[in-house]
Amino acid sequence: MTQTPIVVGAVAYTANVVPIWEGIKEYFAESPTPIDFVLYSNYERQVDALLAGHVDLAWNTNVAWVRTQRQSGGHAVALATRDTDLVFKTLMIGRAGSGLDGLASLTGKRVALGSRDSGQARILPLHFLAREGISTDDIELVIFDSDVGKHGDTGRSDLDAIRAVLDEEADVAAVGINTWQNLNAAGDDTMSDLEVVWESEPYNHCNFTALDSFDPERAEAWVATLLAMDWENPSHRRILELEGLRKWERAELTGYQSLIQAMDEQAISDHW
Amino acid sequence: MTTRLMLRLVDEVGATHAGGTVRIPVDAAADVDVIERWCAATGNEVLTVLPDAVEVHRGRIVDPVASLPEDRRPGYRLWIYTNFHCNLACDYCCVESSPKARPRVIPVDEFAAIVAEASAAGVRELFLTGGEPFMLVDLDERLRIASQALPTTVLTNAMVWKGERLRRLEALPREGLTLQISLDSATPDLHDRHRGTGSFARALAGIRTAIDLGFEVRVAATLGNDAGDAERELLDFFDDLGLDAHQRVVRRVAQQGSANAGLTVSRTSLIPEVCITADGVFWHPVAAIDPAMKVADEWSPLAGVIDAATQEYRDYRVKGDVLASSFPCA
Repeated sequence: MTQTPIVVGAVAYTANVVPIWEGIKEYFAESPTPIDFVLYSNYERQVDALLAGHVDLAWNTNVAWVRTQRQSGGHAVALATRDTDLVFKTLMIGRAGSGLDGLASLTGKRVALGSRDSGQARILPLHFLAREGISTDDIELVIFDSDVGKHGDTGRSDLDAIRAVLDEEADVAAVGINTWQNLNAAGDDTMSDLEVVWESEPYNHCNFTALDSFDPERAEAWVATLLAMDWENPSHRRILELEGLRKWERAELTGYQSLIQAMDEQAISDHW
Repeated sequence: MTTRLMLRLVDEVGATHAGGTVRIPVDAAADVDVIERWCAATGNEVLTVLPDAVEVHRGRIVDPVASLPEDRRPGYRLWIYTNFHCNLACDYCCVESSPKARPRVIPVDEFAAIVAEASAAGVRELFLTGGEPFMLVDLDERLRIASQALPTTVLTNAMVWKGERLRRLEALPREGLTLQISLDSATPDLHDRHRGTGSFARALAGIRTAIDLGFEVRVAATLGNDAGDAERELLDFFDDLGLDAHQRVVRRVAQQGSANAGLTVSRTSLIPEVCITADGVFWHPVAAIDPAMKVADEWSPLAGVIDAATQEYRDYRVKGDVLASSFPCA
């Protein structure tokens, strides 16, 4: 009997979302839990769709996860995540030789931040600064509010912020570690004009979110298939590389605490 | 400084859809090295290095050869034109074979050397053709050498098995040898129109001889634009002869050799099936006298010849895919 596909929501943050999800759909086609997917233009529509039952699973950012959890009254379940999502960090990037070192050194400096709905480039940097005793009155903010709705996934605001540092329009740029690693992928010598001024502790980023009404057996079968994707398999690797991971992992929740706290502190709405 | 180059790379390649290309300007050879290292580390590929720019392919290039079914990959089959002369002068013959054609025979010792290199090069099947291979009275020696090494198919019109040739046919091994016999229609008209009066009856008799002698037989038709309903009738006829799906082949006339009409073929329209003749090595047996389809003068080292054809196919397929994705019509 043909299985009813599990419908997965994803946000179209780049043109490559289509080949990524076509590839994942093809991968699941022969499994006990085939999928179909629906693309949304922003995470808010996707959260609405998951809560309305239009999709069974949503590939959510950390901000979208927190909003789903809150809007559902705690009935959201995180199923799986990328290996890179378990060790995500925010970095402060400054000019090499600037003498800046640590968050305390940023008092009075121009800090370039990304989109207002980006956990890594805006919400968490402000949280980490506040934790260090640095309020927005103590620094000059240089804001790049690009691609709002995508929660920083495009990396657009990260790159804009770094360019601002190079162009002497900012002293440091807050970026996700994935952007910095990508910029340095050719070797440490290629970004020698810039350096890491500060690095946050790890926190969690994206996850596949379901509601707790989703059949746990189907969820488990689906996760087991997902976790079996293999970096050494060329057809799997192509998808994994485009999506930015080496291995899928089971989700864990402790790494979302800093973001939950940050969203509370900054009174960020559960809805946008 | 490479910092801005890295920003541009991450920005522009990241914004490009998988399979698309981005041209990144470079100032120096060191920039090319950086881009190559970055691509290797991030799952992208350098497509072309130009004097002042590097074309980067977003995502990994899917190997078009690996995407083919195993038995269609270049190097799986090796074709050998044992000779070019023929008892027939078919009007669509892709290599202009006829009784008057210069024989251009591959001698037995050279044939044996080809088979030995083919086995070593990973070839999985041999196909012998011509001309009419059985015009060579000593073809049986070649067929023994070939079929002992690899599964072998010999293409024939099945019209010359008389006297000494018939005795030698009867003595051939059945194991590892398939006779592929040409038959273009279910009735004499169409077949004889292209292949000569009386050839249909003799081909049919040859098919029955081969079957009766216990050979593995495949029947192959070549159809031109005048075939009309011949294909449907022919398939019914194949059923009547008791031929399974794997024992029948229907292909179209190619505009090569004697054929004035038919499918046009080129290196970019055919998956290579490397083909050795006395005049050199060709891309595909359907174009074994076309200078544009010649890939090498010498067949040895065969592995190198096969690799070169495979790489040429891979290159034009990859570039073709890139071009196709660069010129969407809607």
